[in-house]
Order: sequence, then structure tokens, then C-alpha cells
Amino acid sequence: MLSVCPYFHVHQPYRIKQYRVFDIGNDNEYFNDSSETDLNNRRIVEKVANKSYRPTNKILQELLDNHPGFKFALSFSGTVLDQFEAYAPDVLESFQKLIASGRVEVLADTYHHSLAFFYSVPEFERQVLKHKKRIQELFGVTPRVFRNTELSYRNDLAKWCEDNGYIGIMAEGWDKYLGWRSPNFLYQPPGCNKIKVLLKNYKLSDDVAFRFGNQGWESWPLSAETYTDWIHSHHGGAETINLFMDYETFGEHQWEDTGIFNFLRTLPHLLTARADTTFRTPTETVQSYNTVGEIDVPDILTWADTDRDLTAWTGNDIQRDAIKAIYDMEPKVLQTKNKDLIENWRKLQTSDHFYYMCTKWSEDGDVHAYFSPYQSPYDAYIAFMNALSDLQLRVSHSLTEREARAKERALKKEKLAATLEEVSPATVVPITVEPTLHALLSTWVSGLKKRFRSLLDFFHKK
Amino acid sequence: MKVLTFGWDFPPSRNGGLGVACYGLTRELTQNGVEVIFVLPRRQDVVGNARFVFADQARNVSVREVSSFLQPYHQAESQVHYIESFDADGRPIIKSRTIIEEAHRFAHQASLIAQEETFDIIHAHDWTSYLAGIAAKRASGKPLILHVHATSYDQAASQNVDPGIFKIECEGFAAADKVVTVSQFTKNIIVEKHGVPADKVEVVHNGCDTTEPVRYEPSLSALRSQNKKIVLYHGRITIQKGVDYFIKAARRVIDVDPDVVFVISGWGDMTNQIINQVGEMGLSKHVIFAGALWEEERDRMYQTADLVVMPSVSEPFGLVPLEAMQHGTPSLISRQSGAAEVLTHVLKVDFWDIDQMANKILSALRYPVMRQQMVNEGKRELQKMSWHDAATKMFKLYRNLLQYLTS
Repeated sequence: MLSVCPYFHVHQPYRIKQYRVFDIGNDNEYFNDSSETDLNNRRIVEKVANKSYRPTNKILQELLDNHPGFKFALSFSGTVLDQFEAYAPDVLESFQKLIASGRVEVLADTYHHSLAFFYSVPEFERQVLKHKKRIQELFGVTPRVFRNTELSYRNDLAKWCEDNGYIGIMAEGWDKYLGWRSPNFLYQPPGCNKIKVLLKNYKLSDDVAFRFGNQGWESWPLSAETYTDWIHSHHGGAETINLFMDYETFGEHQWEDTGIFNFLRTLPHLLTARADTTFRTPTETVQSYNTVGEIDVPDILTWADTDRDLTAWTGNDIQRDAIKAIYDMEPKVLQTKNKDLIENWRKLQTSDHFYYMCTKWSEDGDVHAYFSPYQSPYDAYIAFMNALSDLQLRVSHSLTEREARAKERALKKEKLAATLEEVSPATVVPITVEPTLHALLSTWVSGLKKRFRSLLDFFHKK
Repeated sequence: MKVLTFGWDFPPSRNGGLGVACYGLTRELTQNGVEVIFVLPRRQDVVGNARFVFADQARNVSVREVSSFLQPYHQAESQVHYIESFDADGRPIIKSRTIIEEAHRFAHQASLIAQEETFDIIHAHDWTSYLAGIAAKRASGKPLILHVHATSYDQAASQNVDPGIFKIECEGFAAADKVVTVSQFTKNIIVEKHGVPADKVEVVHNGCDTTEPVRYEPSLSALRSQNKKIVLYHGRITIQKGVDYFIKAARRVIDVDPDVVFVISGWGDMTNQIINQVGEMGLSKHVIFAGALWEEERDRMYQTADLVVMPSVSEPFGLVPLEAMQHGTPSLISRQSGAAEVLTHVLKVDFWDIDQMANKILSALRYPVMRQQMVNEGKRELQKMSWHDAATKMFKLYRNLLQYLTS
């Protein structure tokens, strides 16, 4: 028995416009570029919706309708869901319909597609919670398997997931940590006893995600038949083939003219033509198999580049400077209790901003250049740091205001106390009330007090 | 292999990037075993500058001086020309007939030299030598390579292109067996404007010397002690160089941050106009005209500055950002330059985009981490841009040309 576990990651960041030094203190919109460039978020979402989301969802829906055995998983960043809602609501509806089939699992993630786990666990937890609520609200499901931004993974993240009730977590099946072992089984992180790790088969995944349309590749053009043979060849030596990739592989990274849509359309049928091959969602996969060993990942592992680490996001000085600057703001931003400021701060945590600042101009670098809407990594840094400077300014204004309001309140209190003291006790005329009226009044007052207290409690809990 | 080379400028003369390029290329070619006869239009020192020691190759290079009054960067020397009239913007239209006469004189001498010397190939650097190159080719029948360091379109910033120079360029490109440009940017110009077939043109990017320069005590200590930030322009003050755009950007910068000082090192036919512009825009307090700085003074200024700006309207290559990088200072350069094709770790801007030019100057000054990274990574990038590579490309070109002609 061999099962195939496809998982597609759906994400769009809020790209920062060419925010200038002159805009600091004058413009608190960082993401509203309206030019004809790739910094225009609405334009990008509309473009990718036409090239990828709409046609791909149509095919996926057909596959679900025609193949009762077809299953897969999706993960969404909160930032892409918000943008679908604003710019392409029909796309969101088509995803809702897919998920309503019950055969499409939704994974847990951070809301803002951030690297927060490695910089601030409390902030990470807030983003995961926010994401969970959003998924429940939109799709009516609760994620049980976790995947982190850029498939980033480390032992302590797995531990966190286990402690927080997740039954599975995804990671790159990277040779450095696997050694001679195969990614096509489930593994256990050290120090955990319940959670299982699903490892990406990067060879088979990247054949589709990266190499499919590459005419210089020895296996080009790749037919669904050949690919099926490759997967079937694992029978007997594997339990699960985990095919993890960006959703935008279909139509955006691999254009329609590469034949990617036909590939997707025919693959499920071919794969399940062999009776002992099935599709399984991540949760089913975790429930179907036992772990075969421990996988120890003490350093950050991601699905990016040939390095499979975070260097594409934090490899140079400007990236480290920018990421430090954003997380240094945490205590102050949260102190403002200002929703808008906190949301802007989180949008700036999206990993893509740091990716655009990458200067690894090797073979990998070309990939970065392709995916960056900025003309240079320095332009990306400038836009980011200028927007961040404005946010810092707004945060400090907000805190000053809060302080001023608090002072004012304290002053009023003092004044009141002073006036009360000024009124000497002799001048207070005792009020005599009828006993019955007094009793009535006091029960009324205590009732009021009670209600007020429960109201207070309620807000505290919130 | 023996090459008869025509040029007009050679270190240590103080004329800018072209002499530096001729020197770098010649030095590396001779190291490849190429014998170079370098013909200069007039007597000048060719040794004596410690940074450009040439002594060990002296046996391979014989410098011949030709009696001529040729001045490179002709349009920069407006006093030697006459002003014919003024254009709509009040800029003088300068005629350079005298220079063209000089170029003809150079060509006459070149014809004689070509008969005296033995060589395999002719290599002529920039337009003042094109006629000399053609004459040498006629006299000897040897193949001719013209090396384009600038065009009439660059020097005039596409306005009032000198028809006399344009004519010489067209004749030269037609007569040449191969044309070499210092950038794709320049190749595009001669393909588009002069109608040269694209396959006749090879791009050989300029190189760069990567020896670590001497560190000096910074200059402008009084300003530095007041925490002023220093933005440097270094180059000729001509319409080609876009200094007027730089001054407009300076105004935008000062409005946001009055603690910036702009230093202008250079001279040229637009100097008075720029001085007036600075006054009119109320920038006199913020702009320092340093005159043309050379050698130690120039290096010291490169090292003192926080940022160097090259705002050129049309720059065939542009060595300034490379020099600045060697001295540890990052640059903001115009996209309308050859250097922008090969440099990654600089800031880039369209010369006309005053707003972004000011934004990027201010941003560079605000974020020291970025400046440092641009220098650190930029220096590594310079290591890959040696004159050796340029000369190797040139050598292959010579060889191909000779093979093609003899077979």
C-alpha cells in the first residue's frame, strides 16, 4: 500500500509600496501601491487569480467531483485570505467549495506568514491563534496538522506543536538530517511522543514545482504517465509520498503553456489506476502510519534554496537589521493596544519582505530576482525601513497620547479627591430616608454594582 | 601580436576615466604578450604617478607623441571653441570645428606613423582618434578596431548633437572592422542612432583596479564634527553629467534634513550655470564647490563622503562608483549608465526622477547598515571586474579579427 499526500501552499504578501523618506509621518498607508508595477497588491492578486487560482480551482473541483478517492491539503496565509476577500471574493468562494467536500484538509499556519517562532514565541502564538480563528470562520474546520512559514522547522517548534495539540507537522525531507533514510515514512521529533513529522519528498515535489517547464531538464517534457511511474516505483519501499509545493506552481510559476494544467488534470486518475495506491490527507497519513525513527533537527530547516536554511531571509546585514528592527518594536506596539498599528506591524513581519532583500546572487539568486517586485534588494530595504520608521513614529505618538490621557485621568481623580476634602464634614447634611425606601435603594445599588462587576470581568477576559 | 593604438590621454594626465581605461587595458594586454605602440596626440608625461607604475612593461610599450593641440573632452573646454548661438533653454551651442581640424591633423600624422611602424592591427580609442585610425588603416591595410568610450549623444545629453562629430563617428563605424563599446548602453546608442549593425559591435566593459587604496585623514573635519553628512559629486560639470538634476534633488534633501552638505568636485562648461542654480534654490549654505580634485585630495574626499552620486544623463560607463567603492563609500548612480549594467551593490535611479534621487540619498544617509553592506559586498563584486578580463576579451577579439582576415 502506498499513499500520496499532496499539499499546496497558498500565499500572497502585502508588498510595500516605494515608501519614501518624505512619506514618514505623512502617509500611514504602506501597502496601497496603485501603479502598474508588481508592487500593486490588488493587481497581483487579480493577475494570479486569472493565471492560477481560478483555473486551478476549477480543475481541483472537477477532480474531486470525478474521483472519489482524490484528496489533498491546502494551507493559507491570513494575508492571502484577506486579499481574496478584498480583491477576488469569487476565488475565496471556490476554495470554500473545495473544502466543503470534506476531502480537502486545511493546515495550521501563522496568520502573517512570519518567522515569528524564531524571534518571539508569544507573538508567534498570537498569530497562530488568529489564523486558527480565521480558518474556522471561513471554512468551518479546525486545523490539526501544522506547517510553518517557508516550511521552516526545528525540534522546539515540533515540541510546541505537540504541546498545543497538533498531531502532525511538516518539514523538508532534507538529506542532511535524514542521512541514508527515506523521506517516505513518518518520523518522530526528539523529546516528543505523540506528534509525527511528515517530510517533503523534495525530489518528486520539485520535479513539478521547479523543473516542470524547464526545457533544459533531462526529463522535459514530463508526462503524467512518467511521473506516475516514478511514484509507483516506490511501492514496497515507502508508505507515503509527500508532495509539498506552492499552490501557485499551477499557472503562475509554471505557466499554462508548459502543460501543467493537463498534468494536474490527468495525474490523480493515473495514480489511482493501480489498486494499491491511494490519496491521503496529512491527518489521515498521520493516523495511518507509525513513525519509523527519530529525526533530529537542532537548526532551522526550510524548503528554500540549496542551503535549506533561513539564509534567503536572514543571510545578509540589511535583512538581519530589518528583522531585528521589526521584532524590537514588539513591546511598544502591543502597549498601544491599537488594532490598526498592531496589524500594520504584523503585515511588516511577512517573510517575503526580507526575501526581497536577499543578495545571494548565485543560481539561487536568480530565483530571488524573479520573485522580487523591487528593482534591487536595497530598494526593498529602503521601502521597508521607511515604512517601519513611520510605524515607529505612530507608535510613539500613540503611547504619548495614552500617557497623556492616563495623566489627565489621574489629575481629575486628584482634583475630585481634593474638592471632597475641601467640603468639611460639618456641612454635610445627613439625609434621612424612609426605611423602606432606603432598603429598596440599597438593593438596587448593590444589583447595579454586581452587574457592573460582571461586565468588567467580561472585558478583562476579552 | 603588435597593435598600433591611438588615444589622446594617458595617466598621469588629469582628464578622467578615459585615460584610466586606456591605461588599464594596455597594461593587461602587454601582460598577455601583446606589443602595444601607443600614439598620443601631444607630448605629455606618461609615467611618474605612483599608482600607475608602468616601468616593468616599458619595453613592450613605446609611447609616440604627435604634435597636435587635441584636447580630450572637447566640449568641456568651451573657451577653446566659439559659441555659435544659444538653444531654447539658453544653453550655448558650441562649435568644435577647431577640434575637428585637430583630429584631421592627428590623422595626417597617423598615416605617416602607420607607414613607419610594423604592426598587425589598429586600435583607436574614442572619436578624436577615429580619423587617425581610418588613416592608419588606409596607409597600412591592417584591420581597424574603434573603441567607443563616449558618443556625441552622451556629450550633448541628446540635445544639439554636434553634426561634425556625428559625421566622424558614422564614417569611423563604417570603416572599422569591429566596433567596441564600453557598455550595452553605448552599444544601443550606436546601433539606434548611428545605424551600426548590432553584430559588428562588441561590448567590453571597463575593468577596475582592486588594490586597496591608501587611507587618509578625512577632510572637512569641521563639518564632520558638526555631524554633517557629506554627499559627493565628482566629475565634469557638463550637461552630460546631470549635475542640474543633482542640485534639484539636493533641494528636496535639505527640506527634510538640513544637516547634509553637498560637495561638488569638478569643473566644466556648466559650472557658472550650476553656481547660479545653487544660489537661486537657496542652497549656497549646503553646497560646496571644491574645484576639480585629483589624486590624494580626490581620494581623501571619496573617503570622507558618506555617499557618492553619479547623476549622469548619459554615461557610457562611469568609473566614479567603482572608485568610490574602493575607497569604502557607496554610490547612488543613474540607470542611464554602463556601470549600472555591471554593479549590483549600488543604489540606482533614473536621472530625471528627482524625487527618488532625493529619497535614496536620504535613505542611504539614514541607514548606515545598508551603506556598509553595499561597500562590503560591492568590493567583492569589484574583484570580478578586473582589467585582466577586459583585456582577455579584447585579445580574443584581435585574434578572431586576424584569423578572419587571413583565412
